[in-house]
Amino acid sequence: MRGSFFGLNVSVSGLFSAQKNLDIINHNITNATTPGYSRQVGYQTAAAAIPMYDGTGMYGTGSVVNSVNRIRDDFLDYKYWSEAQSSGEWSAKNDLLAEVEATFNEPSLEGTSGSGFTAVFNDFYSSLQELSKSPADLGLRDIVKQRGVTVANYFNSTAAHFEKLQEDVNYRIKTKVLEVNSIATQVKDLNRQIYTAEVDGTVANDLRDHRTLLVDKLSKIVNIQANEVVVGQLPNGRDNVHFTITIGGKNLVDHFSSSEVQVTQRTTKLNANEDVANLYDISWKDTGAAVKVTSGELRGYLDVRDGNEGDNGSPNMKGIPYYVKKINEFVQKFAMSFNDGYVNGVDVGAGHADGYALNGTTVSGLKFFTMLGADGKPESSTTFIGGATTIPAQYSKLTAKNFSVSSEILSDSRNISASGSASQQENAVVLDKLIDLRNNVSLFGEGSAEDFMKSLIANMGIDAQQAKTMTDNQETIVKQVENERQSVSGVSLDEELANMIKHQQVYNACARMITTMSQVYDTLINKLGV
Amino acid sequence: MRITNAMMVNNMISNISKNQTRMDKLQNQMATGKKIEVPSDDPVVAARALKLRTDVAEITQYQKNVDDATSWVDITESALSNIGDVLHRARELAVKSANGTMSTEDQQATASEVKQLREQLIQLSNSTYAGRYIFSGYQTDKPLVDEVTGNYAIPSASTEVMNYEIGVGNDINVNVLGGELFDGTGASAVAGSTPKMIQDMDKFFDDLNTNNQTAISTLIDGIQSDLDNVTRIRADIGARSNRLDLTKSRLDSDEYNFTKLMSNNEDVDQAEVIMNLTNEENVYKASLSAGAKIIQPSLVDFLR
Repeated sequence: MRGSFFGLNVSVSGLFSAQKNLDIINHNITNATTPGYSRQVGYQTAAAAIPMYDGTGMYGTGSVVNSVNRIRDDFLDYKYWSEAQSSGEWSAKNDLLAEVEATFNEPSLEGTSGSGFTAVFNDFYSSLQELSKSPADLGLRDIVKQRGVTVANYFNSTAAHFEKLQEDVNYRIKTKVLEVNSIATQVKDLNRQIYTAEVDGTVANDLRDHRTLLVDKLSKIVNIQANEVVVGQLPNGRDNVHFTITIGGKNLVDHFSSSEVQVTQRTTKLNANEDVANLYDISWKDTGAAVKVTSGELRGYLDVRDGNEGDNGSPNMKGIPYYVKKINEFVQKFAMSFNDGYVNGVDVGAGHADGYALNGTTVSGLKFFTMLGADGKPESSTTFIGGATTIPAQYSKLTAKNFSVSSEILSDSRNISASGSASQQENAVVLDKLIDLRNNVSLFGEGSAEDFMKSLIANMGIDAQQAKTMTDNQETIVKQVENERQSVSGVSLDEELANMIKHQQVYNACARMITTMSQVYDTLINKLGV
Repeated sequence: MRITNAMMVNNMISNISKNQTRMDKLQNQMATGKKIEVPSDDPVVAARALKLRTDVAEITQYQKNVDDATSWVDITESALSNIGDVLHRARELAVKSANGTMSTEDQQATASEVKQLREQLIQLSNSTYAGRYIFSGYQTDKPLVDEVTGNYAIPSASTEVMNYEIGVGNDINVNVLGGELFDGTGASAVAGSTPKMIQDMDKFFDDLNTNNQTAISTLIDGIQSDLDNVTRIRADIGARSNRLDLTKSRLDSDEYNFTKLMSNNEDVDQAEVIMNLTNEENVYKASLSAGAKIIQPSLVDFLR
């Protein structure tokens, strides 16, 4: 026998269900633009039916919303995390290589008056050519001196730029490491909230969205693996699920605990001749072991900061130390040949030091290029030689950063040794040989001095181009995965509004049912003349 | 595929930003007239640009060197021509004096002319170009011949050759050495000794004063050999001058060719860029208007 007010109760359950559904839609609409939000749906079922033992069978009792679930495809999240790492790595490299390109300032296409290597080098050789036609002209000698200083300055400032860039990258690494720690702590806290909330079997939708968003961020920075692992069973029979994030096999976040990563200053330089001092290594705070960074922005930064083609155990990439090494090699070999006629390990006897200075003196053996001493002032030829017995030994300390015109030349341009013998002021035999060195293709493995720089700049261009292409590709892939996620989890306003109307109509209909029921009871109670 | 509002907005933004990137690139190409800005835009073009820049700079320098060499050679040529004239006159006078028909007065007049010729020779041997003594080898700050004694004032070896570079590994010798000019092929100037040409003049002068006509007859051959030497050197200078002219015209065409190569390599085709930019502009406008149409309305606009 059905209860008298059964019908009213059925309608009321309909009102409640419609209201709950409208609430969920409301929540979806307001979060349509929330990053990382996944749409939620209410799982509505028919309420438990009442069996009637009078032969009519089960009586429906209305509807009920059982749970609110988010719509999410976990597989897409894993895909996103693995692609975001690669995307982060290449975009970091892309940004930094663009800075490397800017440092070289080549090709300076605005005419011949650029400030890049080619322009500086062309100017220097033009001045030597002019001097060779009139070796006694003091004005021309001063120009040679000044252009020599410009060549030295070009390398000084390039080297300084690279130092600055390396320090910048180092600082960025530190910042990123701090960010990793901050995200790890947040994820750890969220783990506790989610775990507590879900103990009774509900799903902590919005908290999970928040956590996924944090892992998204983390995956751009470093190679992470994020997983929910079942570690046993809870007393209530549910799986005991822990959320973990690992970097290179070690846990960064494990359920309620997180490990910290830290940066420590290196005591010895990785690239002894190229690096600035005190660069950071990334290690685990608890064990002190190095963090295995294999991709993400951090890998990109490390590669560019340390990359020296695999020398000294550095990353196998042409990073900042590689370019520093190359320009150091350039100034050493160039100065060796220009000063001492030392080409490819052989003294060809056509260097500046083989010539004689102007002004009837018998001054000889002067070097045109030396380096800045410890006091920051250009060294004289004698100081530069020091106690070194072989020519390569003299140049072992010369770098692009300390490259300079010698103090003798700076103090008196008459010391430019153009002449092949003493007291012959128009003798330009040595100067002619210096000019010929420009086209000497045995100077470098790559050919002449300009071939060397050309090849360096072309290689840099190719690397930067590759980074650009890879960044574009990776961004497209990440965007594709993100679109797939949006397709599954994103809020479609049209869909929500259509559902809104649907539930509104159900609500209206239920309300109408109540009116009808009310009239039925009115008839029953008031109209029956009992 | 289920399409959501966020997807449409994301796609629209990313497409429009791609349009803008392309327009920005074309805009830069239009404004700079260059295909590339940084090596990574096109490493091949960048490497070629560096090489061609060096080539053009070298050619320009060689052109300057050729011009300077030409001036030097021209000055030498005119000095040589004057020396030739002096020797011609000396030979003429020698022939006249050798046939014994001259009066004593004529002889004296001739003697004083020879003395003048000697002075002229000394002057010419110390010819300068921009303040530099052109026959003094490497010591262009010093005159070759002492004006008072007529002796070499400085030593000048036959190896003191001044070379101007007029091409890669292509040198031209611009100077004529005093020793060779005044003493004959391969001779070096020895400080304190008298140049043969001056010696001949001195001897001519002495012979005139002593009226030694036999000696003067033999001297004609001497002066003739001096003259031959000068003619030989003038021919040589002429050849150098010729070579400089040829080099100059070759360098001029090289400059044109290399500048053209440089332009082909790195300059944009303006017409093409303008076309592409206009095209991109249309695409951009279209995507903006499509975006505006797509993202604005939703079911909200149609519900009452």
